[in-house]
Amino acid sequence: MDTVTRRKFLQLTSGAVAVGATAPLLSMNEIAQAAIDRPLPAGTPILVVVTLYGGNDGLNTVIPFTDPIYFSSRPQISYKAETLLPLDAELALNPAMKGVKALWDQKKVAIIRGVGYPDPDRSHFSSMAKWQTASPARHINTGWLGRWVDSQEEDPMLAISLGSVLPPMLAGAKRSGSALPIGGLVIPKGALATECLQLSKPARRDTKLMAAAATSMRNLFSVSTNVQPVLKSPAPVSPDLPTTNGGNAGGDSNLAQQLDVVAKLIAVGSPTKVWSVSLGGFDTHANEANAQAALLGVVSDSLSRFMGQLKATTRSNDVTIMVYSEFGRRVVGNGSEGTDHGTSGPMFLIGNSVKGGFYGDQPSLKNLVKGDLAVTTDFRDVYATVLEKVLKSPSDPTIGKWSGRVNCFA
Amino acid sequence: MNAKRLETSRLFHRFGFGPRPGEYVQALADGLAPTRTKFLTVPAVDAGASAIKEPEITDLGKRPAPNSAEVVPFAIAMRYQSEQMVLWSLDRMALSDHGLSERMTWFWHGHWATSIQKLNYALPMYNQNKTLRTHSLGSFNAMTKAMLNDGALQFWLDGQDSTLKAPNENLGRELMELFVLGVNRYSEDDVKAVARALTGYQVDRSSGAVTINQNRRDSKPVSLLGTTSTFTGDSLADFLIARDDCATFIAERLWYRFISSNETMPQSFGAKAGFANRSIAGAVSAMANDSVMSNESYSMVKSPVEWFISACRALELTPSQLKTPGQLIGQLDKLGQVPFSPPNVGGWPAAEAWLSSATAQYRIAFATWLVKQSALRALNEIPPASRVLQSTDWLGIPEWSPRTQAALRRSLSNPQQFALLALCSPEFIVSA
Repeated sequence: MDTVTRRKFLQLTSGAVAVGATAPLLSMNEIAQAAIDRPLPAGTPILVVVTLYGGNDGLNTVIPFTDPIYFSSRPQISYKAETLLPLDAELALNPAMKGVKALWDQKKVAIIRGVGYPDPDRSHFSSMAKWQTASPARHINTGWLGRWVDSQEEDPMLAISLGSVLPPMLAGAKRSGSALPIGGLVIPKGALATECLQLSKPARRDTKLMAAAATSMRNLFSVSTNVQPVLKSPAPVSPDLPTTNGGNAGGDSNLAQQLDVVAKLIAVGSPTKVWSVSLGGFDTHANEANAQAALLGVVSDSLSRFMGQLKATTRSNDVTIMVYSEFGRRVVGNGSEGTDHGTSGPMFLIGNSVKGGFYGDQPSLKNLVKGDLAVTTDFRDVYATVLEKVLKSPSDPTIGKWSGRVNCFA
Repeated sequence: MNAKRLETSRLFHRFGFGPRPGEYVQALADGLAPTRTKFLTVPAVDAGASAIKEPEITDLGKRPAPNSAEVVPFAIAMRYQSEQMVLWSLDRMALSDHGLSERMTWFWHGHWATSIQKLNYALPMYNQNKTLRTHSLGSFNAMTKAMLNDGALQFWLDGQDSTLKAPNENLGRELMELFVLGVNRYSEDDVKAVARALTGYQVDRSSGAVTINQNRRDSKPVSLLGTTSTFTGDSLADFLIARDDCATFIAERLWYRFISSNETMPQSFGAKAGFANRSIAGAVSAMANDSVMSNESYSMVKSPVEWFISACRALELTPSQLKTPGQLIGQLDKLGQVPFSPPNVGGWPAAEAWLSSATAQYRIAFATWLVKQSALRALNEIPPASRVLQSTDWLGIPEWSPRTQAALRRSLSNPQQFALLALCSPEFIVSA
């Protein structure tokens, strides 16, 4: 054990004592790799947000397989009923989602149907901004979880987004979550590192923003010394994904890798309560069936693998996964074996503390709103519930006064 | 802090994209008033900008069917044209002799924020940029009328889908909320009224050509902000722009992008009065002459493009000549700001949004990449004995903190590291 890891080990041990010796038992190897100073107290709930960029076709995700209108509306891209994974007498999962189906059978999956917001916006960017800011009526520059970060004590490890760019969701007014590029951070080394750290020191005459610039540099080093060793450990190779037909509406392509890193960091006690991961490519205007099934397969396999990894830790009961996309797609297929931008779609909440089952009404295929699925549940119902039940925080300061809730936690 | 150095630095970094080597010292010698006048006066000829070749951007026509043989060359041409357009706009910022013209074009791009990501054609975006440049310091009234006839903006905000039968509120709402009046200065009924007044526009997506189809137009009178009238695009622009709220709003936006993104605009801020006849130059001039320019409370974070261009000017680099253009756009993309791709119609964020730990990492990597491609001529010409303090003049910043001086002093034997640290220092990332 070199001096750095030994020092970290001592810090970890004292940290564990400070919180009542409840830190998870880890192998020496993991501790040496993880280098976490202040483990998250055991039993602290953790939220993992999975963003599907591009507009996931909800109707080919949770499929009304006994409704003839489903088949007649999109003859080229509807699934044959016998290939589907039935959830009840009316709804079934996409055949690629076997992993999620297994979790559903264990009652760990809540499917909230018809989620959206008033006056659906069909622009990827605007709609995603509405979801991420939780402000559908008016554009604002802070994200709902960023405002939650604002309400917490300052900690660069509190909310971490895997991937290259911090999503607006994690941008607060005062502070933001941290972004952790997958594949490891490229941090200056040697003399340059020493001088970069020098630049991160406070100066007496710094303006508020100069001080914030110095802090961001400091956080870079603290995040990197804490997580770099974990990231260096082998990660699974990401499966091949379709890149041709899913458009370019944001999101990363390596969900399995992102979740693998999250699982490792949760296991070693990273003091992180919110994780953000993403998958892009859902903008299936054309040749949808294969592309979307491949993507949903990645989502499903990655999530079930992630839940499996958590089982081996003491944190498996603490984690709740939330899956959403900026909108669903049109009910009627377009001329190019795809679908155009639509409105509402299903959200998934997955975890041991989730009461599995359906929530919210399934939007009717008969009574469409201007050719689109109705919104039956406002996403703020879900956010308010997640803030209160998962993050144990009041929802008002983050999303304003909001009365709707989803009763999907025990 | 020395007030003259501060105000001169703000002129360079906010009303332009930073000084080229020697310009800051020259401006300090010239004095503040002549420097301000120089910034505010559009020269008859801008030799730096006019040396830049216009990109070849053509109408690519209808997108071929997916998976067809024609789609591949189409996509290659589309990507090539977008890249050329981005490089052209960055070169103009880096090489122009009159920083304010480019700075204002950049400001208006973020104001009428339109993204190529939805449009997927370079030509309409290129034309929009030229429109914004034409009007960047002109009449806001003429600019607004031109923008209502701008194909890229119309398409971006679904103007072409807004018809008598089904008015689409997207453009009308943003026109009032984000472009002309500011949020909550109208009612939802006013949004509906403006949407009806703006029906009938049709856009040819690939060329950006805008026409008005009278059959799709709702030409009945609407009641808007207490006035009932039949509006055309032009008369609607006249009507909205004449409102006092328009002057308040434009002053607020100038305040937000030039003076402070996180402090409240004081009532006395001169830009509103300067905008009385809706002259953009008038508002900008009033702003440059306002006492807030020397108030130390109002520092600003440079956005990634602003930071990059000011680095290029100090390092004497031409963006399009960097190796490679693809890597350059990748670096900007990692920092979250590529011209012509704002994240949404609200434009790019400001202040702390550019100060995450990931941004810090990418900025260091970006600066390393840039410094390697520069001869560091101006830096090397400063005698090492005075290099730490004099490098403030090179970069046009008022002063280094003792913190940054310590880091630079220890890097004197390594000019690349010296330049890199200077560019990544809080004093350069933030305009004091």
